[in-house]
Amino acid sequence: MPSNDIPHVHVKLFGLFRLDTGLHELDAQARRVKDLYPVLLREARAGNPATTITRADIDGCVVLVNGKQSKKSTKLSEGDTVYLMSPVCGG
Amino acid sequence: MATSYSGYMGKVLELDLTTRTAKEYPWTDEDRRLYIGGKIMAAKILDGMLTGHEDALSAENPVVISTGPLTGTGAPCSSRFNISALSPQTGIVASSNCGGTFGYHLKKAGLDALVIRGACETRSWISIENGEVEFHDAEADGVWGLRVTPAQERIEELLVQKWGARRAFGQLVIGPAGENLVLYAGVTSDERAAGRTGLGAVLGFKNVKGIAVFGNHEITVADPVRNAAWNKRFFKTLREHPLTGKQMPRMGTPGLVSPMQMRGMLATRNFSAGRFDAFDKVSGETLAEEANVANRGCVSCPIRCSRTVELDGQLVKGPELETLGLLSANIENDDLNVVLRLNHALNELGMDTISCAGTLAWAMEANERGLWECGLSFGSAQELEGIIEDIAYRRGIGADLADGSKRLARKYGGEEFAIQSKGLELSAYEPRRAVGMGLGYAVSNRGGCHLNGGYLVIMEGLGLFCDPQTPKAKADMTMMFQDLMEATAAAGQCLFSTYVFFPSMLITRPRGLVTTVVNKAAPHVGWALRAINKFPRAVHMHMPILPHTRSFEYATGMKMKMGDFMRSGERGYTLERYISQRFGISAKDDTLPKRLTDTPQDPADPTTKVPLDELKQTYYEARGWTPDGRPKVSTLQKLKIV
Ligand code: SF4
Repeated sequence: MPSNDIPHVHVKLFGLFRLDTGLHELDAQARRVKDLYPVLLREARAGNPATTITRADIDGCVVLVNGKQSKKSTKLSEGDTVYLMSPVCGG
Repeated sequence: MATSYSGYMGKVLELDLTTRTAKEYPWTDEDRRLYIGGKIMAAKILDGMLTGHEDALSAENPVVISTGPLTGTGAPCSSRFNISALSPQTGIVASSNCGGTFGYHLKKAGLDALVIRGACETRSWISIENGEVEFHDAEADGVWGLRVTPAQERIEELLVQKWGARRAFGQLVIGPAGENLVLYAGVTSDERAAGRTGLGAVLGFKNVKGIAVFGNHEITVADPVRNAAWNKRFFKTLREHPLTGKQMPRMGTPGLVSPMQMRGMLATRNFSAGRFDAFDKVSGETLAEEANVANRGCVSCPIRCSRTVELDGQLVKGPELETLGLLSANIENDDLNVVLRLNHALNELGMDTISCAGTLAWAMEANERGLWECGLSFGSAQELEGIIEDIAYRRGIGADLADGSKRLARKYGGEEFAIQSKGLELSAYEPRRAVGMGLGYAVSNRGGCHLNGGYLVIMEGLGLFCDPQTPKAKADMTMMFQDLMEATAAAGQCLFSTYVFFPSMLITRPRGLVTTVVNKAAPHVGWALRAINKFPRAVHMHMPILPHTRSFEYATGMKMKMGDFMRSGERGYTLERYISQRFGISAKDDTLPKRLTDTPQDPADPTTKVPLDELKQTYYEARGWTPDGRPKVSTLQKLKIV
């Protein structure tokens, strides 16, 4: 059970991750970006039990916190908005 | 001239529109070996015709429509054909590549290329059956004046009437924009476009509304068994690659809107920023979820990158990334439906979506700064459908807008925010967060083009992520990518097929050890790339990362190892530059607007601008050009251009 001193953040998803799972956004509690990953995997599998998304795929996500390029180790604060985009681009 | 190579039809037809006569253009096997086909072949033909005194909109501007040897041989993504001529936007040699079925049917008509000279006295359309040419009255036939879809339908109807039955054929047409000499009018074949550089206006000036081609020649391959087996493997590689098998089929090029936003390279508000707050309303994901009805593709393509959307109950072609970005973030429009409408209107009127959208963004900024009171402003895109129509018919402010941002800025001021190079508007990648792409835009032979510029964004954040702000190794990478893409296009294949150059693991595991090493090492291997660029024959083998060369060998019977392929690309690229020199092109023309070179995108980070002068000098050195950007005689001799 997350405690109340863990920041509440809003997560928005992009890339094939979103198309494969139908998961657009979610609210979660996390101290660092990487703490969101198990939650995402759980939600992704709940959204689409047949999804082939793995933890390694989520690890490869490009991360933006409040519009700034960030890393998975980036610390989060209360009310942050996190954008996560699965790898694979090209165009 | 007959050929001993397979894949080629062995004939190039020279058509004089003024005298309505046709003859064979001499093209030898030695020419085929050196200049492959497509745009490189076209450059060689233009080299022999252009003196440096011709105008793009004149009867003296020759147009070369050429195919590649792989078209029609079963190689994947090989339906492309090329149109080259002087561009009315840039005034120098330009090329534009197109899918559709025209290239295939040109070969079925027994021709590798068409060389068009002179101009028709009256408005015409042309049919070519098995090499035999017929001129038709485009006005009496009710073709002139039509938009591109009805024009193609009308030509088909006329041909069916003539034949008394339906037959397979290929055609290309111009829309009202080409007829009215909009400087960025394109040429359309089926629903694909040779959109860039204004070649539709060149055909419009020549009074050519369309060309239909058909015939029953056989396209042969040198080694049918190995050709079929290899291409089967090549198809499989494309289907299994994360970019060509997953990302592109699922989202098409619009799938790049989000990555570009993440990397700060989504051109926003006429390239004054790299991120657009409302990007998700117009992202590739949203397009896929809410608007895309089906994927379509060119003949023999497993990728099928084209989107199909529903508009007013009709299924129409959806936007490409460049159009989507430039008609949304760059003009601050967050309404996807408006983008779809504008894209469709531009396609039907036969206009380059990139140049038109870039010109509109310039006009919005010029209006807001009080330089040109045209009534356009950022964020109000609803009214643009009427404006686009006015551009195509050169009415009201449309008459000015039809000339593009470079000429408008000369007239009204605001050159520092006219986002073009050599007269061609940049596509949607904001280069201050990808400085190698900035170099590419500036030196590209056809002006501000992301593809002809080497498409380094794929190394700088849209695939790999090697430091997008460092100039290190970018010049050598640019040259290598430009040359590879040049040869790929000349062979008749789509540039998207070159994605297989990047091993899957580098794309799907961006934080993996190998990818991290590649990203970190890339800026330090400029010397190695320089050595390969200088001595490509050292790569005298087929490489798994470039299946194209084996397809080439098995189809044509011509030896084509990776090194030969690179050298052919270099020859084509240098030759275009060599011709453009006659029209006064040198380093002074390899420019970007001041906004991109002098003003950092992030005021707190001085590296977020394009260090163009430094990049250019290294690039000229890499290419064996003088510091003034002219190919040295020794370079021309090495490439057998002189
Ligand atoms: S990838 Fe797209 S543009 Fe290229 S050949 Fe295939 S469908 Fe045509």
